[in-house]
Amino acid sequence: MAVGAFSWIVFALFAVAAQAATLTLQSPRFTISASDASQLRSEPLSLAHKPTTPLSLGATDVLKLTFQVVDKDDGKGIQPHQTFLRFYDEVSGEEGIQPVKVTPGGKAKFELNMARPPASLPPTTTDPLKVSLYLGSFVHPPVQYELFDLIVPPSQPPAQHPEEASFHVRPEIHHTFRPEQKLPPKVISAFFAALLAAPWVVLLGLWSHIGPQIPHLLSPSILPFVATLAAFEALLVWYWVALRLGQVLLYGAILSIPTALAGKRALAALGDRRTGKSSK
Amino acid sequence: MRFLRTLLLPLVALASLAVARSSTGDSILVLLDPSLQRDNFSIFFGDLEKQGYKLTFRSPKETEPQIIKDDVAQFAHVIVFAPDTKSYASDITPQTLVSLLNKNTNLLLALSTKQTPLTSLASEFSLILPPPGTPLISHFPQRDTPATVIPVEPPRSNAVLSPNLAPVWFSGVPQALGLNPMLVPLLKAPAQSFASDADSDSGADALVEAAEKGGEGLWAGSQLSLVTGFQALNNGRATWVGGVDMFTDEFFNKEVAKGKPSGNRQFARDVTAWTFQESNVLRIDTVEHHRVNETLPRETYTINDRVTYTAYISKYNPELDLWEPYSGIKDMQLEFTMLDPHIRTALLPVPGEPGKYSVTFRVPDRHGVFKFVVDYKRKGSTYLESTTVVPVVPPRHDEYPRFLSAAWPYYVGAFSTSAAFVIFVALWLGGDERELKKNKGSKAE
Repeated sequence: MAVGAFSWIVFALFAVAAQAATLTLQSPRFTISASDASQLRSEPLSLAHKPTTPLSLGATDVLKLTFQVVDKDDGKGIQPHQTFLRFYDEVSGEEGIQPVKVTPGGKAKFELNMARPPASLPPTTTDPLKVSLYLGSFVHPPVQYELFDLIVPPSQPPAQHPEEASFHVRPEIHHTFRPEQKLPPKVISAFFAALLAAPWVVLLGLWSHIGPQIPHLLSPSILPFVATLAAFEALLVWYWVALRLGQVLLYGAILSIPTALAGKRALAALGDRRTGKSSK
Repeated sequence: MRFLRTLLLPLVALASLAVARSSTGDSILVLLDPSLQRDNFSIFFGDLEKQGYKLTFRSPKETEPQIIKDDVAQFAHVIVFAPDTKSYASDITPQTLVSLLNKNTNLLLALSTKQTPLTSLASEFSLILPPPGTPLISHFPQRDTPATVIPVEPPRSNAVLSPNLAPVWFSGVPQALGLNPMLVPLLKAPAQSFASDADSDSGADALVEAAEKGGEGLWAGSQLSLVTGFQALNNGRATWVGGVDMFTDEFFNKEVAKGKPSGNRQFARDVTAWTFQESNVLRIDTVEHHRVNETLPRETYTINDRVTYTAYISKYNPELDLWEPYSGIKDMQLEFTMLDPHIRTALLPVPGEPGKYSVTFRVPDRHGVFKFVVDYKRKGSTYLESTTVVPVVPPRHDEYPRFLSAAWPYYVGAFSTSAAFVIFVALWLGGDERELKKNKGSKAE
């Protein structure tokens, strides 16, 4: 019976010793002061909820954070292995880890001077940083606290590799084309075309007055030549519309043979007419 | 052929649960430290062999079989599990490993807290390692394993890993990532973890001093990566793992919570699937370009032409070991470049035709030698690159607009000349000289 009781007490003692003490923070407090050491805001921190308004630092303000890490049961100060502050921007994903110096008695003090920010402060935008505290130890169970939200002045954006842009969608590029060539109004073109056609009106008018006659035109020595000359003009109009140079030279060469023959006949007939008349 | 394959698909799926083949080859050389027992990795190597890979084992200090001989890679993939060896045989140097990567051999490299030849190679891949002897430890969450054995939550959404992976046990060295965009972090460290060589609470001051020292300072936080992939420009993949322990049978079988097995086995399979070119492997089959109303490409295009460019893209299906047309790329872009891009437009998939991406655009009104450039790079997938050179010439003498309204006066003039010439010839040849009787009469007087 006594042995049983004794072993029960031993087991109980072992149980107590095996269950190491939980850590907690005693009197956590933050102070924001301006560069001339005037206090802007000073409040104790609650471990259960964050301050109602986020902490805001200007470009020269100083944030001081003080607390003491103690054993929850007996209040003794403890220096845990890991006392880290984590600054985390949820929107951009940037993070910074800052170890906090803790004395062997558990007293901790952290100072953030925005005039000379630590390297652990991540690049920031206007979004708030979530600040949490991690207490880790080889013998005590770990504890983490969400302390407060912190707004600091925006920093330079984080550095990027020069090739980084090619791994994302790049901005579209559109080419500005030269504007279409503008033509003068058709009325003006029509007017000048009519101007150029005016001499024909005069010519036809005068001819109707005189009444020229072409008695020999339809004779078989004159008509072929005039017809081949008209065909040449038609060939040139066809070249203007559709043909290419090689084709028009070929057709022109072919057409020139009957033209030459007909022309010879026509001029001979004309010469005969002249000499025939004069010989009359 | 494709029809036969679709018939075989249900049979193949029934025959083996997950036979996934690599697109570049089946032979793997495993460089295993003599201090590591091969049986400790039986599940990992067994899974690889079940998928159809041929494993060859070798100690790093042996000389046969060589990984590269006469400048030819002897194996399709290489796994290096050599955390304790300080020096390797002469055919394994950082230079030969990099040349293997350039020859499209994929690498799975394990780091350790000791200095190995791989430690200096890691910095070439933009990985910054902590000092030797400082493994990653985490006091969170409270558990009965040592602080160096850490359960890590895999990322929620990742192009490479399966969704809904269970937490993964990790033990080893964290890597800080440089800025290189070719790095593909596969497993990030928990926010509360950090690298330290301490094993008792008295190391607290050393931690604070390390951070204040400047330079690299303290390796801590979720910006650290534990398993990092790297895809080189020639699409060779190398994965750096912080420690070999996460591939051991012990970690595969360890439970993360009561009754819940760890995700190590599935994670290892996902990592090897990506590293050995099974998953996320794309390629461009062909590209075509032609004028809008034609089908054949031209030797040269004229400025202000409307041109259609088409690319056919396939994705490798590891279960069926074939390349299937893939229309899932939504943000590809085409550049029409002469020294600088003149045009950059979206190259969108054509609905109704799998694998075909097409865009129609107007050629700029500058002449010169242009290139159609497709340069699609995203983390985790194969890089797609294609360049096609086309000359663009100004219009020929007969390609300009004709019959303009401004030319009407000139047409009238030219036609007048022609008509007047023919009429004159007709009149002169056909007409008679008329006696001017009236004038003669008056003159004779």
